[in-house]
Amino acid sequence: MSKIKVTDLYKQYGDNHVLKGVNLEVKDNEVVVVIGPSGSGKSTLLRSLNKLEEPTSGSIVVHGEDIAKKDANIDKIREQIGMVFQHFNLFHNLDVGKNIMLAPVELGKLNKQDAEKQAKKLLKVVGLENKFNASVDSLSGGQQQRIAIARALAMNPDIMLFDEPTSALDPEMVGDVLQVMKDLAKEGMTMVVVTHEMGFAKEVADRVVFVDEGKIMESGTPDDIFNHPKNPRLKEFLSKILAV
Amino acid sequence: MKRHSFTSHCVLAMACGLIIALSLFAAPTKTHAAEKTYEIGTDVTFPPFEYANDNNKYVGIDMDLIRAIAKDQHFNVDIKPLGFNAAIQAVQAGQADGVLAGMSVTPERKGTFDFSNPYYNSGVVMGVAQNNNSTKSLNDLKGKTVAVKTGTTGAQYAQSIQKKYGFKISTFDDSNNVYEDVMTGNSVACFDDQPVLKYGINQGTQLKIVTKPAAGTPIGFGVKKGQNQELLKKFNTGLANLKKNGQYQKILDKYLNAKKSTTDNHSFFGILNQNKVFLWQGFLQTLWLTIVSIVFATIIGVFFGLLGVLPMKFFQGLSTTFIYVFRGLPLIVLALFIYTGIPTLIGTKIPAFTAGVITLMLDEGAYIAAFVKGGIQSVEKGQMEAARSLGLPFGKAMRKVVLPQGIKLIVPSFINQFIITLKDTSILSVIGIIELTQTGKIIIARNLEGFKVWAMVALIYLIVITLLTWLSNWGKRRTKI
Repeated sequence: MSKIKVTDLYKQYGDNHVLKGVNLEVKDNEVVVVIGPSGSGKSTLLRSLNKLEEPTSGSIVVHGEDIAKKDANIDKIREQIGMVFQHFNLFHNLDVGKNIMLAPVELGKLNKQDAEKQAKKLLKVVGLENKFNASVDSLSGGQQQRIAIARALAMNPDIMLFDEPTSALDPEMVGDVLQVMKDLAKEGMTMVVVTHEMGFAKEVADRVVFVDEGKIMESGTPDDIFNHPKNPRLKEFLSKILAV
Repeated sequence: MKRHSFTSHCVLAMACGLIIALSLFAAPTKTHAAEKTYEIGTDVTFPPFEYANDNNKYVGIDMDLIRAIAKDQHFNVDIKPLGFNAAIQAVQAGQADGVLAGMSVTPERKGTFDFSNPYYNSGVVMGVAQNNNSTKSLNDLKGKTVAVKTGTTGAQYAQSIQKKYGFKISTFDDSNNVYEDVMTGNSVACFDDQPVLKYGINQGTQLKIVTKPAAGTPIGFGVKKGQNQELLKKFNTGLANLKKNGQYQKILDKYLNAKKSTTDNHSFFGILNQNKVFLWQGFLQTLWLTIVSIVFATIIGVFFGLLGVLPMKFFQGLSTTFIYVFRGLPLIVLALFIYTGIPTLIGTKIPAFTAGVITLMLDEGAYIAAFVKGGIQSVEKGQMEAARSLGLPFGKAMRKVVLPQGIKLIVPSFINQFIITLKDTSILSVIGIIELTQTGKIIIARNLEGFKVWAMVALIYLIVITLLTWLSNWGKRRTKI
């Protein structure tokens, strides 16, 4: 069954055409990794999936509802889509526990006690059970990103979007964050991940999607993409990053 | 629907609050006594026609005359020492019923005023510093600068002969500043009405008169053309009665031959001691004006600041326009526009205090709106995105995540704005609010001790601002910014 179905998605800012007709389907429990050079439109594609970017045209059906429509109840749908950002975006005015508890309590999903219990459980999942009362700014980048994942999970989403989650991290922090993501994938979470971590893509992805110049140029299993690339731009892209 | 509820609630609540608050101030304050009360605009500093005495009561030829006429003709007067220009504008705007300020009857003024029978005939004389022995006549003025007070016949006279004698003109709002300018040597001479200059010299001003009165003009009481004819008639009848019974001459003698009062202590502390109550009242008025204005400015500023961060173009435009217009207008223009302009539009008087509060509310409100908007916008965009991505509606995301962070950035600007507002209240002296600066002007009009009194006024401002700065630093520490 398909969780997300993107059809003919276009996005432009003024004269700048960022997405030029993207079609993408994400199935239940599927892990899709989106790769591509910077400026190719992959982040815009991801951010369109929960309408942080307003599409210019096309349809994006999530849970059977087309969120590209103006009257879509986007808040309701976002509750079911967790998102993790490159720069974590933890709320600086709240401590770690309150960051995780905010949405479930404010949106009436859980009462305070239950939300606190859940937050502590989630902190354990991401390996930071002793940070409940810590202030956000006292944490390292890797810790902040794991808190951000916990915060997204607190709404109990069935889709998780990751927008270059490890790009802003010091190299020694990357492993911890990727481990949390691998565990999530193992539990059957539906995930769309924009990343430059090719190792993660090879190991975890069910499908890898190569985006360039606002279009999906090639899509397939990690083996297809990394070992038998067909598209010349993909070949060029891979040769550049694997040479490093 | 949900998305808009935060906005519409805020807009509604703030608009209601503002309207209620303003209507409290604008509520009609007219009292209906048995005898009619007329509001008479006058100058703050034009001795011997009008000035505040030692008890800071308005006296002078004009004041004694109008009170005697009022008694004779059974009406009440409410004296408004607005300053000459503001008094004229107030009458034209319907904010005052008449102007009595040693005003010369000129053909120009007859275009917009109806004048009473003249109650005095004045002439312009030239004054120079006492130790100046080289400037004896108009012929000695070539290439020099002379000082005049704006709107006076002295100023008109100077302009009319300027070309012929080839001098430059410096204009001031107060007689005292005119005299000071001559005494310090910036200007070589001044032109003023004979009784005014004579009075000043009697009071110890270090000037001397070197010419005979010229350009003699009658002085009269003015009302707006076609208005208040009843008042004009009463004035003329009363004046005739006073002339008949000798009271008129008594008043003239009292002021034209007045010698410097010997009981006055003109030392710094003497002046301070004599005027401490008056200064204290002026200071309280300044403080009160500041507090009331900052409250309203905060309400309106936060309101327009928040409009500016809503994701709707219309509201953003509204906010930008508000900030653009009121930040772009000089405060003094705004004050005069509101005080004289709004009554012309709506047809009723508004009290100077209300006009002052509205002025500061709009001006300071624009600055507050700008930094509220800026403060909120400088919160990282990712904060709002992260909150929205969790399913929080715009309003909740704003209140729970963005605003708390924005406010931290805004607090220091608020305290700064409070200090600026305090200083800006001084500009409201132009519409006759007797706050600290206007108090200073009035005291100086009496004792002509500009330097000492301005030093006192400056000191009072500095002390208050120092206290406020301490308060703000304490506040900053408390909010850990």
